[in-house]
Amino acid sequence: MNAEQLAARRRQNRAGWAMALPACLLIFAFLITPFFMAFGLSLTNQRLISPNPAEFVGLRNFERLLGVGLLTLDPLRDENGEVRLKGGEPEYPRIRSFTRGNPDYPRLNRMREWFRIDLPGDRQLVVLAKDLVFIKALKNTVLFVAVVAPVQSGLALILALLINRPLRGINVFRTIYFAPVVISMVVVAMLWRFIYDGQNGILNSLLGIFSFGAIEPISWLGNTSTALPAIMAMSVWQGVGFHMVIWLSGLQTIPQPLYEVARIEGATGWQTFRYVTWPGLRNTAILVMVIITMQAFTLYPQVQVMTRGGPLDSTQSLVFQAVVRGYEKQDIAGGSAISVLLFLFVLAISLFQRYLTRDRD
Amino acid sequence: MPAQRLAKLSLDYLLLAWIALVFVFPVVFMVMSSFKSDLQLLRDSASLRAFLPVGDLSFDNYAKAFQRAPIGLFILNSVFITAVTVCVSLLLASLAAFSFVFLQWVGRSVLMAAVLATFIVPFETIAVPLLLIVNNLPWIGLDGFKTSWLNSYQVQIVPFIADALTIFLFVQYFKDLPKELVEAARIDGATWFQVYRRVVMPLSGPVLATAAILKFLMMYNNQLLWPIMVVQEESYRPVMLGLQYFFQLNTAWGEIMAYLTIITVPVLAFYLVLQKAFIASIASTGIKG
Amino acid sequence: MGQVLLKSVRKSFGSAEVIPDLSLAIPDGSFTVLVGPSGCGKSTILRMIAGLEDVSSGTIKINDRDVTYREPSQRGIAMVFQSYALYPHMTVAENIGFGMILAKRPKAEINKRVGEAAAILRLEHLLDRKPKQLSGGQRQRVAIGRAITRDPQVFLFDEPLSNLDASLRGQMRVELAELHSKIGATMIYVTHDQVEAMTMADQIVVLNNGRIEQQGMPMELYIAPKTRFVAGFIGAPSMNFFEGSIASQHDCDALGVRPEHIGLRDDDGDLTGRIRHAEQLGSDTIIYVHHDDYGQITVRAEGNRVLDIGSTVHLTLPAEHLHRFRNGFRIQD
Repeated sequence: MNAEQLAARRRQNRAGWAMALPACLLIFAFLITPFFMAFGLSLTNQRLISPNPAEFVGLRNFERLLGVGLLTLDPLRDENGEVRLKGGEPEYPRIRSFTRGNPDYPRLNRMREWFRIDLPGDRQLVVLAKDLVFIKALKNTVLFVAVVAPVQSGLALILALLINRPLRGINVFRTIYFAPVVISMVVVAMLWRFIYDGQNGILNSLLGIFSFGAIEPISWLGNTSTALPAIMAMSVWQGVGFHMVIWLSGLQTIPQPLYEVARIEGATGWQTFRYVTWPGLRNTAILVMVIITMQAFTLYPQVQVMTRGGPLDSTQSLVFQAVVRGYEKQDIAGGSAISVLLFLFVLAISLFQRYLTRDRD
Repeated sequence: MPAQRLAKLSLDYLLLAWIALVFVFPVVFMVMSSFKSDLQLLRDSASLRAFLPVGDLSFDNYAKAFQRAPIGLFILNSVFITAVTVCVSLLLASLAAFSFVFLQWVGRSVLMAAVLATFIVPFETIAVPLLLIVNNLPWIGLDGFKTSWLNSYQVQIVPFIADALTIFLFVQYFKDLPKELVEAARIDGATWFQVYRRVVMPLSGPVLATAAILKFLMMYNNQLLWPIMVVQEESYRPVMLGLQYFFQLNTAWGEIMAYLTIITVPVLAFYLVLQKAFIASIASTGIKG
Repeated sequence: MGQVLLKSVRKSFGSAEVIPDLSLAIPDGSFTVLVGPSGCGKSTILRMIAGLEDVSSGTIKINDRDVTYREPSQRGIAMVFQSYALYPHMTVAENIGFGMILAKRPKAEINKRVGEAAAILRLEHLLDRKPKQLSGGQRQRVAIGRAITRDPQVFLFDEPLSNLDASLRGQMRVELAELHSKIGATMIYVTHDQVEAMTMADQIVVLNNGRIEQQGMPMELYIAPKTRFVAGFIGAPSMNFFEGSIASQHDCDALGVRPEHIGLRDDDGDLTGRIRHAEQLGSDTIIYVHHDDYGQITVRAEGNRVLDIGSTVHLTLPAEHLHRFRNGFRIQD
């Protein structure tokens, strides 16, 4: 390699690095570094402001978060060996007697009851969790994803099919359906707080009007059974237009002649969808599902604005808990551990996407 | 047109219109309520009057909202933070993508893969450690030296300038540009920076619009999680944090609706004017599938 | 002046070697056409001369100056691309003058030089238009105009006519030939179309798999192709090759005869076959004859011949037009 060649290479290296460096440095400093720090911090007891240096604690944070225990309870019996009844139901020993320093059950120490299942023979299986709030947040987040992903992508596809027709003025409808996407989730959540209100909420009024008073007013966000579904419905409302547009762009990649051939061969509307449209949407479908799932896992502003996790932790979410711990309680380590778990979920999903699209190219 | 087809067509439009109502009713309600007194607002919400401009309409809520919180300041903050981030982001992302696509240099493919891989890291998962970082970063500004970025503009701007999606959009666009244009410019004697500025960027209107819109939505609309963590001082708050002011003592719904209208309607108007570009920009994120 | 020398130039992309070891001298002021099938490396060679592609090893000299590692703009070359590569956001005048604008030349000089190039190419009335508003032929001329204003020692053309329709291509061939005689600079022209090669070149380089098959004047290649590959590549329709007994009779393993040299007779000949198909082109007729041993034989006869499909014909192979090949190489007479 002679000097001139070296100089030419160096010129291009220098130009290449100079142009790429600013963006790369920022990504390194504010994305990659905190990303790896999350892993590191989750193994310590770091706090935001603390007089003591952080210590390595191994997987203790994760054990605390994910620790669950099982307890089988026999009903209390009286002196004759009969099951003691209380209000017609068998009576069971109090959970506290197992979880508050009971030397026979060291693993269950400080755990709290999550839920219980009736077993045959009047016995009960109690599922306990070390960190009940986190476990509920995890459950809610998974539930949120499991409901919102299919419902939102399905509705988005239906909308896309409705819109993808040569009707006069169809663009007006497309514009309207997409509009909520450009509104901040913070604003949307605020607005729907009012819509869902138990006393003056507009949803109750509308339901009352259209059912001629048959449906009683409900405090949608004040009930443990309706709060999370209400948040789900609102999230679908806000996001469905986004995925409608992605479906639309997928629909438009399907070559028109395929539809013409199907028509010539006498396919019905459903057959055309089943054999022409849907196969052509395979990759779009995977993309839509992955985007929705990743978005749904990071459920936060809705909870922050509408319920702050309540009532009775029925709307806790992973990100909300990460913020509560990492910021409000200044427990950087605990918040990081939740972040790591969240990332592992997202990673699993994107690896799954890789797996689904592997046979392309 | 035969009667049957006409009937089917009207049914189609009826369905489309009903769905449209589902999407517009909260927004109509928001705007209408912002002109009503709290008393009337609550009374109207029991009927369809909630969606109509009826009764005593006034700008009182707006006036009161401005008295209750420094809304002007919040809007300025949000606009400033968003504008600076979008502009610098477009500049740095396009430069990096240009280098990745058109130049040959040692480490290029590794660096590009690393940068684009960060796409799957949601911001929510790094927010907590990032808080620890910015809490300990020094900054020299107009008001002197500080040992932390908390309560500042830069803490809301700098971490968000570079992101994988924006770089990815430029990379995709540049890959589709004819390579001969760059080669012709090189033969014409253009330096790499001149190729970027005088040949490639003038042809990048569509991707600039796409990236700007997406970044704008990401920035302006999502100023909640991070500002809650890093901004306590009023003077640096963005609009989304301003909502807190309306929940003191008793909730002033009319004023809230006025505030929501103020921060939303400009975006919606912007969207209506540029709706083709908005929708195209979302669609283009789907093309990578 | 604009002599181009390639010495032991190699090029590989990863593990794939595109140009194994190539040396080539292109004389000053020549119109040299690099021709070959797609993938033969002709475009890569041109791009290495331009400096758009690094060489893996070897040296490139232009006008006795080693330019192997020079920037494209410092080699004294100009290039016309197949896609024209006009800057879509600039006017015709800006496109032509972009190099001088970058070099910060005085406005008056730029205008003068752009005007000169436009005059040569009859583009004066189009200078304020954008490329989108031009026809294919006009765009092509703008691309050439941009090359002219660089005042290069060597013009490089990368399949410049393949995006034009047939009639325009013929016209542009004439214009390029005129331009060459007017300017006198060295021109290196890459094409896969042997007609363009034959009509424009004063020197043709036939390439195959990154190697030079033959280098010479067009008629040399036509009359005395050095290899079977060249014989088959140059000339249309392609040369007929006979193997087997008739080749052995002539002491070779492949006997080549051009379609235009085969005689067509009703009574008697060297070979007898059946007419499968005839294409009447007006000026001449292309006849496809099936022979039981040698398969399809192409014959080109002058004028408009009306023939019965399926009828038997006799073919003569004139001794003075036979090309004999052994192991792919010509046997010298």
